Amino acid sequence: MIHFEDVTRTFGNRTAVERLNLSVGKGELVALLGHNGAGKTTSIKMLVGLLQPSFGQVKVGPYVVSESMREASRLIGYVPDQPFLYDKLSAREFLEFVGELYGLTASEVRTAVQREVERFQLGEFMDRLTESYSHGMRQRTVFAAALIHEPEVLVVDEPMVGLDPQCIRLVKDFLRAYADNGKTVLMSTHTLGIAEEIADRVAVMNSSRLVFEGTVAQLRERVPGVLGTLESLYLALTDVSVFDGNSNGDFRSHSESPVLEP
Amino acid sequence: MESDLSTSDYLDQIERLPTHEREGQLFWKLRIRETRSQLRHLFANSRLRTSLVISLSIVFWIGLFVLFYLGFDFVVGQVGLPGATYHAQTVQFVFTLFFMSLQIMLIFSSGIILYGGLYASNETNHLLTLPIRDSRIVLYRFQESLFFSSWGFFLLASPMLIAYGIVVSAPWYYYAYLPGLMISFAYIPCTIGAIICLILISRVPHLRRIVVGIIALLIVVVAYTSIWRTLDIKDADLLGAAWFKQTFRRFEFTREEWLPSTWLSNGLLEAAREETFDPGDLPWFESGKYLIVLLSNAMFFHVILLWVGGLLYRSSYYGLNSRQARQTHLRMAWIDRITEKLLWLLPRETQLLIIKDFRMFRRDPVQWSQFLIFFGLLMLYFANIDRFRQHRQDINVLAWVNIVSFLNLAVVGLILSTFTTRFIYPLISLEGRRFWILGRLPIERDAILWGKFLFAASGSWLPCAILVVSSDIMLRVSIQVIVIHQFICLMLCIGLSGMAVGLGAIMPDFREQSPSKIAAGFGGTLNLVLSAIFILLTVLLTALPCHFYFMANESKLQTQMIPAGNLLLWLSLGLIGVVLLTALVTIVPLMGGFRAFRKLEV
Repeated sequence: MIHFEDVTRTFGNRTAVERLNLSVGKGELVALLGHNGAGKTTSIKMLVGLLQPSFGQVKVGPYVVSESMREASRLIGYVPDQPFLYDKLSAREFLEFVGELYGLTASEVRTAVQREVERFQLGEFMDRLTESYSHGMRQRTVFAAALIHEPEVLVVDEPMVGLDPQCIRLVKDFLRAYADNGKTVLMSTHTLGIAEEIADRVAVMNSSRLVFEGTVAQLRERVPGVLGTLESLYLALTDVSVFDGNSNGDFRSHSESPVLEP
Repeated sequence: MESDLSTSDYLDQIERLPTHEREGQLFWKLRIRETRSQLRHLFANSRLRTSLVISLSIVFWIGLFVLFYLGFDFVVGQVGLPGATYHAQTVQFVFTLFFMSLQIMLIFSSGIILYGGLYASNETNHLLTLPIRDSRIVLYRFQESLFFSSWGFFLLASPMLIAYGIVVSAPWYYYAYLPGLMISFAYIPCTIGAIICLILISRVPHLRRIVVGIIALLIVVVAYTSIWRTLDIKDADLLGAAWFKQTFRRFEFTREEWLPSTWLSNGLLEAAREETFDPGDLPWFESGKYLIVLLSNAMFFHVILLWVGGLLYRSSYYGLNSRQARQTHLRMAWIDRITEKLLWLLPRETQLLIIKDFRMFRRDPVQWSQFLIFFGLLMLYFANIDRFRQHRQDINVLAWVNIVSFLNLAVVGLILSTFTTRFIYPLISLEGRRFWILGRLPIERDAILWGKFLFAASGSWLPCAILVVSSDIMLRVSIQVIVIHQFICLMLCIGLSGMAVGLGAIMPDFREQSPSKIAAGFGGTLNLVLSAIFILLTVLLTALPCHFYFMANESKLQTQMIPAGNLLLWLSLGLIGVVLLTALVTIVPLMGGFRAFRKLEV
C-alpha cells in the first residue's frame, strides 16, 4: 500500500534520505526507527506530500504522491510530530471540518465523530476550545482527526511523546487493532519497546539510509552475538563498527549494499 | 497483490471529495466559527484592550473625518464646486496621488502577509496534508492577507471620501457606489501583490540571498532618490503658483489612464458632480462605467491568482523547503565582549543575565527588525525637518521649533513604549518556560529582574538618545534644550523599562508562548496605557516651562506676564517633578514585581 521506490531527498549539499526502498502492505504495521536526523521525518513528509523526492517516487495505493497529491491524501491519515489544532475551535468543530474536507456527508461526519469520541475518550472536552487542552488531549484529538475518514493508510510520527501511560496503552492497542483490520500503519518512533511490542516489521534508518528492514527475529539473526531486546539490537545495528567492521563512523564509504536483507 | 492496485479500487472515495465551491463553503464555515469564538473571547477576557482599540479607532476615524472635511471645505472654497474649471483638476490630483500611494502599499503589504500565511504557517502545513486543492489554500490565505493589508486603507479612505461627498453635496448614488468602488479597487493591488509573491517565491530559492539583498537595496535607493528629487523644491518657491504647476506636472504619472487608482478617482469625481441636462452625459452612468472597469479587473486578477496559485504554490513551497538550513557557528561576538566590558560595574550574575538577553534579542530578527523600521523611519523624518533654519529670528518659527522638538521627544517616547510593551513586558512570561534552570541557579531572583531592567533601560537609551539629539541638531535648538531633552530621554528609558519589567513580573502569563499575544493581553495593554500617560505627563511637565523660558531668552523678548526668574523656577520644578514621577513609575512596579517574582512557582 505504501511504496518508497528508490527515493532520495537532498537539501542543498546534504542528503537527508538516500535511495530509500520500503514497502508496507495492507494489514501491516511497520515501525520506522532511527537516530535524530536519520531521515525518518523527511521520509514521512514525502509520504504525506509535505516534501517532494529529489529522485525516485513515493506511491500510496495506485497513486504517485507528487503527481496525484489530492487522491493520495484521501487515502492517508496523518498524525504529525508537532500536531496542529485551531485554538479557537472545539474538537467537535475541528473534526467536522476535517471530515467534510474528506468528502463525508453531514450525517456521516456525525457518525464518524461519535465513533472517534468513543474510541479516544474525547467526550468530556469535546465542546471546549482546543486552546485549553493538555498535550494528551491534543494528541487524542489529532488521532481522531486523522481517522475521521477511516483511511487506508495511517502515518504516525512519534505518537507517544508526552502521553501518559493510559494514553500510551490506548494508542498502542488502537494502532495494533487498526492494522489487524486490514489497514496499513507506518509509525516513526524512538520508543523501541513499543515498536517491538506492536510492529510486524521494523525499518531502521541510519545516516539517511535504510540499514535494516524485517522482523525483530530476523534482526536478531542478522546481528550476531547480540541477544536480548530490540534496544540492544538497534544500538548494535546503528553502531557502525558492528555493521561494517570499522569504527571511524564513515558510513558513506560503504554505500554499495547498505541494507541488511532479512 | 498490491502492485495490482488500480485507481478504480478507490474511485468511490476520490469522487466524493468536495468540489471547489464546497471547499470554499467549508473554509468560510471555519472562518465564521473561528471569528465568532475569537470575538466571544475578546469580549469575555480582553475587555480593556477591545474597548480601547474600538474607542481609539472611532476617535481616529472622527479626527480624520474632521481633518478631511476642513481640508475639502478649504479646497472647494478656493476652486469651486464639482463642475468648476479647477475643481476636477485639483481634487483629481489629490485623489490620484493618495490612491496611487495606497495602491503601492497594498501591493507590498498583501504580498508580505501572504508569504507568512503560505510558507511559514503551521496551519498551512496541516492543510497541505489534507485533500484540498492548492488554489483553494492560496485563496483561503489570500483572503486573510486581503483583510489585514486593506483595513488601514478603509480606515483612511472612508472618512476622506465621506467628507468629500458631504462637502460637495454629492447625490445618493455617490454613497451607493462608494463601497463597491473601494472594495474592488483594494482587491486589484492585493491580488497583484499575491501573484508577485507566488512568482517570486517560486524563483527565489534559485537565487542567492546576496543577489536578493542587493536587488532589494537597489529598489529602496532608487525609490528614495526619485521621491527626493520629486520633492526637492527651493524654499522660496514653496506653495507658490509656479510650485503648484510644477508639482502637478511632476505627478502626472499618477494620473495614467491604465491605473486602478485613476479609475477609482475618476469614478468618484463622476459620481460626485452635478447632473447636467444632457441625456448623453449622465454622472451615475459615467461613474458606473468606472465601477464596472474596477469590478471586472478585480475578477480578472482573482482568476489569475487562482490559476497561478494552482500552478506554482506547491512547487514553490517545495522549493523553499528544500534549501539547506544555514549552519551558524556561534562564538562570542565582539559586541558581546564590548557589552561585557561596559557592564564591569555590575555583579557577575547580572552581567551574564544581561548578555544572555542581549544575545537572544540580537539573534531574533523579528524583534530588532521592527525596532529598526520604527526608529529608521523616525530618523528619516528627523533628517528632513530643517525647513525652519532660514527663519530662525521669527518668533513664530522659534515657537514652532520648540514645540516640534518636544513633540519629537514625545514621539520617540511613544515608540519606545510600544517597544517595551511588545518586547520587554513579555520577557518574564517567556522566562517561565526556562524557569527550571533560572529558578534553580544559585542566584537571587531579584538579580533576574534587575538584569531585565538594566538590559531594557540601557539598551533603549542609546538609540533614543541618538534620535533625540538628531532631531535637536536638525532643529538647531540651544545646547540647554539638548541637555534637558537628553535628561528627559534618560528618565523615559528608566521609567518605561521599570514599568514594563515590573508589570510583566506582577502579571506573568506562562501559558502563552507568543510574545505578541502576551503583550496584547490585559497586562500589556495596561502597560501601554500607563506608559502613554507617563510620557505625556513627563513631556508636559517640562515642555511648557522650557518653551516659555527659552523663547523669552532666545528671542530677546522679556515676557511681561511672568518674570524670567519665575520661569527658571517653574522649569526647575518641572524637572524635579519628572524625576519624582520617574521614580514613582519605576520603583512601584519594580517593587511589586520583585515581591511577585520571589513568590513565583512555575
